[in-house]
Amino acid sequence: MSLVGKKCESISLHESNKDDVILSEFTPEDVLRLDRITDIYLCSPEANVYDIDFTRFKIRDLETGTVLFEIAKPPTDFSVDNESSDDVPEEQLDPNAGRFVRYQFTPQFLKLKTVGATVEFTVGARPVNHFRMIEKHFFRDTLLKTFDFEFGFCIPFSRNTCEHIYEFPTLPPDLVEEMIAAPFETCSDSFYFVDNHLVMHNKADYAYNGGINN
Amino acid sequence: MGFLTILKKLRQKEKEMRILMLGLDNAGKTTILKRFNGEPIDTISPTLGFNIKTLEHKGFKLNIWDVGGQKSLRSYWKNYFESTDGVVWVVDSADGRRLADCARELHTLLREERLVGATLLVLANKSDLPGALSLQQIREALDLDSIKTHHWRIVGCSAVTGENLLDGMDWMLDDIASRIFTLD
Repeated sequence: MSLVGKKCESISLHESNKDDVILSEFTPEDVLRLDRITDIYLCSPEANVYDIDFTRFKIRDLETGTVLFEIAKPPTDFSVDNESSDDVPEEQLDPNAGRFVRYQFTPQFLKLKTVGATVEFTVGARPVNHFRMIEKHFFRDTLLKTFDFEFGFCIPFSRNTCEHIYEFPTLPPDLVEEMIAAPFETCSDSFYFVDNHLVMHNKADYAYNGGINN
Repeated sequence: MGFLTILKKLRQKEKEMRILMLGLDNAGKTTILKRFNGEPIDTISPTLGFNIKTLEHKGFKLNIWDVGGQKSLRSYWKNYFESTDGVVWVVDSADGRRLADCARELHTLLREERLVGATLLVLANKSDLPGALSLQQIREALDLDSIKTHHWRIVGCSAVTGENLLDGMDWMLDDIASRIFTLD
């Protein structure tokens, strides 16, 4: 598929004083090598010069057809925040708002066999070439799963969806117990590349003890 | 070991196939894709970009690309041709008025160099609707019998009832498999 990513001239920085934009040097190979969750975001929110905007996440159980989880941005909502509309104005100004999602599931989630994970995203005025997602899931220092998928080309001003339907990895029962007992120590990093340039980095963490403590 | 052999070996590892679904707008591409994957089909809006599904079916890893068919989007179709193993061309059997349009777009597509060798499955969708053209009428209107460059088949189907969808897909996958993967 993608062989040699051509450099995208318009996001290269000139020696001028644009130092508020930190151009990420991380490559797909770099993030594929990561063996733990990152402490920081590997690119700034401004690296997303293509205005790629994730507008929906959905997880469904293929066995029963049930939608287990879904969050969507209202179509006309221009704010960064995609959580509930609590009046917390300061949080709206957090530059990392929208880059982090927290999922809370019940223990049954870890018993699922086949799940479909959908993302929906829009892109801005510029065509996007070689759009690639690399997502790594960890429990503490154990790598649970890596997704590496190339969306390829995205049409300007398009709205796109991608659903990965996959067998849930079979995890050893003692690991499952540990994951349930340690909420939010299961984490993921999602890296998005355009022409091999890192343009977005999102994080998520997960708890599987829903309905247990209360 | 020839280049083709190496290619076959590489692909065989994952048994991966790339399927591209195209056709005029409102043909039912997204509905077919959703029906195929067991999703509700009651709220489907025009595709203004693509819908991708990756799934396992019959031991193959399928990457299915459904790209919007509106006129303004068709010039972008070429961006999705690379490495395509199978093309699903979806036709609205009840839209006789645009059948000539549909035939022209299909034959333009088949001249595309990067699609040489791709298997073609024509899904005559909405065949259950009153006023739908027969399979034979669509076959003639699309001039399918003139196609010598691709393996092809036409199947009448309904995305709503699910009729024949799986049969059509399975024929295509078998045809691709027999070309791409070395048989033991």
